[in-house]
Amino acid sequence: MSSSTLPDGGVQTALRRPISRALAWLENRTEAQYAYILLTPAIVVLTVIAFWPLLSTLRLSLFADSYGLAAIGEFVGLQNVVEIVSGQRNALLPAPFLPEVWTVKGLFGAALTVTLLFTVVSVAVETVLGFLQALVLDQDFRGRRLVRVAIILPWAIPIVVQGMIFYLMFQPNVGFLVGTADNPALLNRLGLLSTTPLAVAQDATMIVIVGDIWKTTAFMALLILAGLQSIDRGLFDVARVAGATAWQRFRYITLPLVLPVVLIAMLFRTIDAMRIYGLIETVAGCSTVPSLSCLVVTTFNNRMLGSAAAIAFVTAAIIAVVVSVYIIRFARGTQ
Amino acid sequence: MTPERQTDGGVVTQGRSAEGVGPLRRWAEKAIYAPGGLYRALFIVAMLFFLLTTLFPFYFLFVLAVAPTGGAVQLLPALDAMNLGVFLEVYQKVDFLRYMLNSLTLALVTTAFVLVISSLAGYVFGRLRFPGRQPLMLIILAVSYFPPAAFLVPLYQLFTGNVIAGVNLYNTAGALILPFSALFMPLSIFILTTFYRQIPDGLEDAARIEGTTRLGALFRVIVPLSAPGVATAGVLTFIAVYNEFFFSQLMNNGQPENWAPIVGGLLQLQRAGQFEVTYEVMAAGSIMAVIPVAILVVVAQEKIVSGLTSGALKE
Repeated sequence: MSSSTLPDGGVQTALRRPISRALAWLENRTEAQYAYILLTPAIVVLTVIAFWPLLSTLRLSLFADSYGLAAIGEFVGLQNVVEIVSGQRNALLPAPFLPEVWTVKGLFGAALTVTLLFTVVSVAVETVLGFLQALVLDQDFRGRRLVRVAIILPWAIPIVVQGMIFYLMFQPNVGFLVGTADNPALLNRLGLLSTTPLAVAQDATMIVIVGDIWKTTAFMALLILAGLQSIDRGLFDVARVAGATAWQRFRYITLPLVLPVVLIAMLFRTIDAMRIYGLIETVAGCSTVPSLSCLVVTTFNNRMLGSAAAIAFVTAAIIAVVVSVYIIRFARGTQ
Repeated sequence: MTPERQTDGGVVTQGRSAEGVGPLRRWAEKAIYAPGGLYRALFIVAMLFFLLTTLFPFYFLFVLAVAPTGGAVQLLPALDAMNLGVFLEVYQKVDFLRYMLNSLTLALVTTAFVLVISSLAGYVFGRLRFPGRQPLMLIILAVSYFPPAAFLVPLYQLFTGNVIAGVNLYNTAGALILPFSALFMPLSIFILTTFYRQIPDGLEDAARIEGTTRLGALFRVIVPLSAPGVATAGVLTFIAVYNEFFFSQLMNNGQPENWAPIVGGLLQLQRAGQFEVTYEVMAAGSIMAVIPVAILVVVAQEKIVSGLTSGALKE
């Protein structure tokens, strides 16, 4: 420090002493103690903002909804979860958890079935399209960087903008896809969409699926691309010398070697798709497409805290089941 | 002779017959090096298809935004008929600048906070041996498996002062930064762990012998040497926070002075009703909200690709 900053220097030395003492103290800890000390900030944040809320949600799910001034009612144990999962509470919730009737309308009107339909269809289509995108990006061609930017761009935009795009694109007479009753557009004439698709559960769910595919196929593509690029190129040369056609090379080298990566990518996408909320909220609203996360929020807004917590936990449990199915299949696949 | 060789031969004759025709010949010669002209054609069709499908929605947003008020949307708008004033109109309807600033500030502060904390944690997991290392890491990663909805009710109660009296974070930046940090910290910790692990022990030892403290060695040697990793974690956290929807909407009342990010601004435009706010204005607002991340993608695409793949595939 220069002499012109003497007062500052004084403050600094006064401050430096406790700091250097703390550093010296830290220096004398064992490796394990030092590890736990450095982990403290992360663990404190995660405990307060993640672990405590999870346990608290679990506790809340054991209490009845309160219709009075109190936040929660009496202790009811697992009754919330049982009644929600069995469909008995359907009438009290903003939207049914299980379909009341097993018709198309019923399927698209209930939280569990809408979420599962959305997850299965969007992840399946994203896997196929993502694989194709990865095969395109795996080629060497001029402008490869540019194409990659174009493919990543939808992945990187805010969910609310993604929602706005599909909300606007399917407004009657605004996007080119939907017309009015007296001026129907192509999709209306084909009977694929009604003229008010965002207000019809079935049409709105399809639009939400398309929106999700548009945004997140890139994630799938990048993961599969990394898998493709880790394949030893020498294998292809050997196969070529042995007379394998391009299709055979793909079928017997590329596919089996890249399959574990595809499964991991699908696992990540599935976990993410099961929590769909923002896209639905912006495109069609939670009353039209009631996904599981939507149902948690609408139940919470109705001040039914016990039910909201119970649905949140059932959602987490369903994701856990799906994850373990993937992991078991994955473990079997790699043996 | 294998079938593969025969197809190659076919392409060669095709190339020869096209002698003298410049572009066709060049195409054919390329087809010899990348055997199978059919595959080449398929590849070009697929590439154009993906370019069209990923970029068209952005183009649609643009032509909708500049469509003249009350007029129809033109797929190819005439340059002189574009209504560029619509971008200013967004600012008259809502305080869009404030929403954008809120979003950018929240994303930057969260990113800095997450990077510091996960640097410490990444160093511990990547370079230190201690009992409980594996279970602790698994518990931290498990956070990212839970849907945000599973945290909603208790966090809302906590931030509205119903758990600890006097703690009132609802409608403040803290009610967003804390959940964002908890949500996205596991990925950062994971990325930094893999990067910090790769620094040779000798470099850290050398710094220690020179007289640096343990913390000094972390921030003066390990972190600078892992700059690409830190940048990757930073870019991914920034994008994730800027794009987040769930807590952005539910932890404030949507007003710009209460730290509502662009989610609040765009939903307010959307819900004002189309007689108050036209579709053109909504489209213009959406375009402006995309600009910061679009720039980031163009500048940092390598980081995004490496971060996503390393974060996801090594877990």
